[in-house]
Amino acid sequence: MQKFLFRFGTPLLGVGCLIMLALIVTNRELPNSLFNAANLQSFKILFISIILEAFPFILLGVLFSALLQVFVTDELIRKFTPKNPIAGVLFGALLGILFPLCECGMIPVVRRLIRKGMPAYIGIVYLLAGPIVNPIVFTSTITAFRTTPEMAYSRMGLAFAVSVVIGLLLYKFMRSSPLKAAPALHIVHHGHSHSHDHSASGTGMRGRVTSILAHASDEFFEMGKYLIFGAFLTAVIQTVIDRSTLSAFADQPIFAYLFMMAFAFILSICSTSDAFIASSFSGMFDFGPLLAFLVFGPMIDLKNTLMLLTTFRVKFVLILIALTAVLTFIGAWITEVLL
Amino acid sequence: MTHHLIRAAILTGFAMFIVYLDRTGEIILYIAPRMELYVKLSAIGLYAAAVYQVYAALQKRMGNQTPGCDCEHDHAPSPSIIKNIIIYGLFVFPLLLGFLVPTGTLGSALASKKGVSLSGSAAIERTAPQSPTTPAANENNTNPPAVEQQTDDSLDALFPSDEFTEAHAAYGKKLYSTSLITVPEKHFIETLTTLDLYREAFIGKEIEITGFVYREEDMGEERFAVSRFAMNCCSADALPYGLMINWPKAMDYVEDEWVSVRGKLTTSTYLDNEVITIEAVKLERINAPESPYVYPDLEFGL
Repeated sequence: MQKFLFRFGTPLLGVGCLIMLALIVTNRELPNSLFNAANLQSFKILFISIILEAFPFILLGVLFSALLQVFVTDELIRKFTPKNPIAGVLFGALLGILFPLCECGMIPVVRRLIRKGMPAYIGIVYLLAGPIVNPIVFTSTITAFRTTPEMAYSRMGLAFAVSVVIGLLLYKFMRSSPLKAAPALHIVHHGHSHSHDHSASGTGMRGRVTSILAHASDEFFEMGKYLIFGAFLTAVIQTVIDRSTLSAFADQPIFAYLFMMAFAFILSICSTSDAFIASSFSGMFDFGPLLAFLVFGPMIDLKNTLMLLTTFRVKFVLILIALTAVLTFIGAWITEVLL
Repeated sequence: MTHHLIRAAILTGFAMFIVYLDRTGEIILYIAPRMELYVKLSAIGLYAAAVYQVYAALQKRMGNQTPGCDCEHDHAPSPSIIKNIIIYGLFVFPLLLGFLVPTGTLGSALASKKGVSLSGSAAIERTAPQSPTTPAANENNTNPPAVEQQTDDSLDALFPSDEFTEAHAAYGKKLYSTSLITVPEKHFIETLTTLDLYREAFIGKEIEITGFVYREEDMGEERFAVSRFAMNCCSADALPYGLMINWPKAMDYVEDEWVSVRGKLTTSTYLDNEVITIEAVKLERINAPESPYVYPDLEFGL
């Protein structure tokens, strides 16, 4: 419990403070705004709908991760991952085209890949680019922005560029494993007994099926608690904070970018549907801020930050968020100027 | 073993919750129809995982080590009871909320937070005025067969379009040829967008629309908006769209009441913007429709 407090106490307090600040800025009182019947109703619907919507994707993610664990050997992963860092980063950035997963399903898969010997920087690139650079998200963006197809291309391009730059930076500067310490110990252990147990000696089909179910359901609980907590925060924020008050920022050019990125972070919606939200803003915001919303949101948002924290070190997650935010901001701004 | 059983119960709970939502039809409040199948499939997945948890519990009971994973002890539940209560509580909370709190629908409270769009889809509106095209340029464009016989020069002049608003122009012509425009559920947003885009053409036309009453302070005593939430995937991405109504006794209608309105289209000024407005001649209270949401038609004009 104490460890739990230490680990999550500060971030939680931080989130609490942010919520309070937002409430002060928007002139709202906490009890009034959340606890009347209508708001409770909105909260309930938003909260449960986010969870329900994420379930299929999380299940797909943990299932995929479990299949990787049971059927794909570490050697195979090493063999398929390019040795050259540049080729590796490009490989990671385009992997989403082959295995399109959205951000909720992504984390267990990436963790599994890293534990199975994929270099961490490549895994992170897949984590960032995968939810955007894939055919499903491309189609939904084209559909949502039918009048400005440049948006879909810029979105793919910028996401690709941001993730590649981050991948190269990580390759250059990351020295230790970004995964949390405890699991790292298991890699050693894993290589010896575990892969031997399941993959090699093979307890037959039945053994494999139970093993898949075991991994998948464990991981479901591990990811699920953060999903639910993230959905909770998202639903509270959406019910309490007035969007029109916040969008007063829309007039200031820099704030417009920051606002759209913060908004993407708070909304935590799936990358397949966020294009529709963005297009609803296109009267209010320019191309650049919308692009920042579309690129930053799937890479980093409230729900997936909590999920990242299950897997990666706190410091690493913070650096990753900062890098992504800065690069997205710059990239979106440049794109706006160029187009 | 207790852990396995608790987990089995939670997983079953979620699977049952999805089945319950499906049976009662409440699932449409949370998830768009195109997502429903996936959510239902995930119920099967959850149930399979629950079955496995029971199996693992029995294995443990019989003294067998679970054949599953002894590799990942970091997944094993923490020994701290308080922490476990918090974590499992987190999973039980949405279930309790879902099963016990009666379900309403999204309404004015959330609409005011999200900001109702009174002019259809902004994505379309913004680009349209910037690209005026001559009617002649459109004559070669293919129009849906339904309106072909209607297509003459004057109609094209009323509905100028470019490649992006072509679908709306064609739809506008179709609407224009009807004597009473009924805003359909299937094309709610598209209809509002078209009406807004070609408002000059539609002024004076008779129109009928249903939705819930939404009011902002600035609307005063004689106006409110008839609104619907448009959902893409789940209700977290639902956005409200509405049409302004002018009715002398608007205050008789309370927020979130479902109404059907008939009247003539005109425009009025709201917060320094010109918005399309219905000069109502008939208002009727109705029961909330089965699905409170409308969905954008992704195939519109394709």
